[in-house]
Amino acid sequence: MGVTCVSQMPVAEGKSVQQTVEMLTRKLELLGAEKQGTFCVDCETYHTAASTMGNPAQPGKLMYVMHSSEYPLSCFALFENGPCLITDTNFDVLMMKLKGFFQNAKANKIESRGTRYQFCDFLVKIGTVTMGPSARGISVEVEYCPCVVANDCWNLMMEFMQSFMGSHTPGIPSVFGSKHDSVYSPADTMIQYMELLNKIRKQQQVPSTGMR
Amino acid sequence: MSGGPAVRISIESASEKQVQEVGLDGAEAYLQPLSMSQNLARLAQRIDFSQGSGSEDEGSAAREQDWAEEDDEEEEASVKFQPSLWPWDSVRNNLRSALTEMCVLYDVLTIVKDKRYMTLDPVSQEPLPPKQNPKILQLVSKKKSLAGAADILLKGAERLSKSVAENQENKRQRDFNSELLRLRQHWKLRKVGDKILGDLSYRSAGSLFPHHGTFEVIKNTDIDLDKKIPEDYCPLDVQIPSDLEGSAYIKVSIQKQAPDIGDLGTINLFKPLPKSKPGAPHWQIKLEAAQNVLLCKEIFSQLSREAVQIKSQIPHIVVKNQIISQPFPGLQLSISFCHSSNDKKYQKPSEKQSAENHLYVLEHNLHQLIREFHKQTLSCAMMPHPASAPFGPKRMRLAGPQAFDKNEINSLQQSEGLLEKIIKQAKHIFLRRRTARTIDSLASRIEDPQIQAHWSNINDVYESSVKVLITSQGYEQICKSIQLQLNIGVEQIRVVHRDGRVITLSHQEQELQDFLLSQMSQHQVHAVQQLAKVMGWHVLSFSNHMGLGPVESIGNASAITVASPSGDYAVSVRNGPESGSKVMVQFPRSQCKDLPKSDALQDNKWSHLRGPFKEVQWNKMEGRNFVYKMELLMAALTPCS
Repeated sequence: MGVTCVSQMPVAEGKSVQQTVEMLTRKLELLGAEKQGTFCVDCETYHTAASTMGNPAQPGKLMYVMHSSEYPLSCFALFENGPCLITDTNFDVLMMKLKGFFQNAKANKIESRGTRYQFCDFLVKIGTVTMGPSARGISVEVEYCPCVVANDCWNLMMEFMQSFMGSHTPGIPSVFGSKHDSVYSPADTMIQYMELLNKIRKQQQVPSTGMR
Repeated sequence: MSGGPAVRISIESASEKQVQEVGLDGAEAYLQPLSMSQNLARLAQRIDFSQGSGSEDEGSAAREQDWAEEDDEEEEASVKFQPSLWPWDSVRNNLRSALTEMCVLYDVLTIVKDKRYMTLDPVSQEPLPPKQNPKILQLVSKKKSLAGAADILLKGAERLSKSVAENQENKRQRDFNSELLRLRQHWKLRKVGDKILGDLSYRSAGSLFPHHGTFEVIKNTDIDLDKKIPEDYCPLDVQIPSDLEGSAYIKVSIQKQAPDIGDLGTINLFKPLPKSKPGAPHWQIKLEAAQNVLLCKEIFSQLSREAVQIKSQIPHIVVKNQIISQPFPGLQLSISFCHSSNDKKYQKPSEKQSAENHLYVLEHNLHQLIREFHKQTLSCAMMPHPASAPFGPKRMRLAGPQAFDKNEINSLQQSEGLLEKIIKQAKHIFLRRRTARTIDSLASRIEDPQIQAHWSNINDVYESSVKVLITSQGYEQICKSIQLQLNIGVEQIRVVHRDGRVITLSHQEQELQDFLLSQMSQHQVHAVQQLAKVMGWHVLSFSNHMGLGPVESIGNASAITVASPSGDYAVSVRNGPESGSKVMVQFPRSQCKDLPKSDALQDNKWSHLRGPFKEVQWNKMEGRNFVYKMELLMAALTPCS
């Protein structure tokens, strides 16, 4: 378990998502990273049902239930800016039973799939973000395994990311700011993913038909 | 008749009653005999008193006539019936019968008297006075009543003894039940039909061994009541499956050389069993023995299954009751399953010496490992869990909520097999023994310097450590430079120096030996350095690894040069693990008489330069060890002031 930074890689101009991903992976392989199978992060959205809301005027909160192949036995349930609950995979069954309170917005299911690379102490996961049948963006996750304090290794990670992402290297993630010197947890990774996926979802919603 | 006490013979008339009538069923009704007075009255009626006074005479005459007639009759032996009207008929008849009896008496007496046919011996008998009669009657009645009482008592006694026997039977039954209760407290029992079956398998503890391990509880109450009950008699007996009888153990041994292939799998080692007590052993002992056999079987089957499955460079061999593996080259670990059933109890141990290198520690550890294995499976399968969700072991259950990543989960899941673990342990044990032997043999072979090994008492199954000190006798306080910590692992030995350097040695014996030899050689030079400090000499140069001189086959030679306090003399020591020590002394130039006068060095001041080195014949030096000799040498070279 280490410190993770999740960021978005914009699609290169004049290229498809697929081609951009290939370009990135080629760069990584040239660096000497080893391919280690695939990974998958998915996110489902739940609306709180209107019947349970005291105030009908107040819009229902959104709850996101996420899974990551890196944590195969866990299930993450998050609110935006809210608490993050880590459970085991039986949580999905529980959600089915809570249909009356939380309704699954099936159309909003978004996931990121791709390849997992190991480069010494770094784990790099380059994924294609898909919503339904369409590819909508590229996610890049970089994990530095030996460290658990985010601020201690951020500079190192940034330097590493620069080596293959070039000018698209992200700034310091917002979760790092609140962490200070405390121990980084897997929930922070999932919060970053949630934010990223939400961003991609919203980005694409406006020109959703125009781009693809 | 005259001699001896008279024999009383009482003669009575036959008191036959007259039959009055015979009933249809054959019962005879008797006519009551007349009483005396009635008889008299009857007779008197018949008398004809008219005959006058001469009746008495007639009577006597008639009697005489009767007698005569009777005589006649006796002679004629024919019965002449008188007319019944004759009044004395009955008298006559009585007389007649009396006569007959008299005649019989006479005959009897004759027979007795003649002693030809029969002798009569008197029977001594207290003549019972007639007045005792009522006492006899009393006695008889008492006897009768006593007999009755005895009868009642006997009946009671019989009933009592019956109930006692019943009681005992009940007690035995109760004993059986209490024994059964005790059995029930320790073993799983269930009732099938009219049998009580028990389970001695480890299934409830998590074993997956397919052996059913069922025993039957037998009621052992039909023993002879009359015989003495043996002391260890138990009303409850168990019958264990025939293949679990006897005793078994797992023998683990490490052997140097491979035995002949022909010997494989025929190991049948048995220590003569301790003499078992006569009689059937107690059920608890029996069951425990059977359970042990079962566990040994399970261990062996698990090991052999793993031996076949695990791919190793040198494949494990499984032959009959033996598994052979090669932990190190030229070394073999053999695990054998030894089972003696009772009938083969007296088999002689076939290989005595190989029984001795039985590694009890590993046998014990095997038992521990299989129990751990049981526990693992138990916690997997048996934990109470909600019906909707299968749960794994505890750490596995935490894996979800604590968001374990792949590596952590992998580390949870990977579990070594029994065989791998035991091979690792065997390797460690072997490595530890070999290290101990190497150190000991070096210590006994080399007296100077000395090696001390301090073994730690507490070990892990895969790691143990020993502290090795190299010292010189008498100089332990000043020569403490070499302290080594040897951490003996499974495959290798890590040596930690005092200064923190770490050297990793392989399992090869030679490596450790060479390393220790080089350390011992270095120790001597270190000792000289320490000694120089103490003696006030100056160290001019010091090197642990000399680049000069002959090349050593083991390690490097080390060297030191020290100068005397005044600076006149210098001693140079070179010590190699193989070449041994070489000590040279440098004299001042002024003391060298044989040095040719150089033309270049005319000035007197040059005589203060040091001259050539001369080797000291070290083996001729006095002193019990190297450091002592060195001390003497230094002392000799220090001028007294």
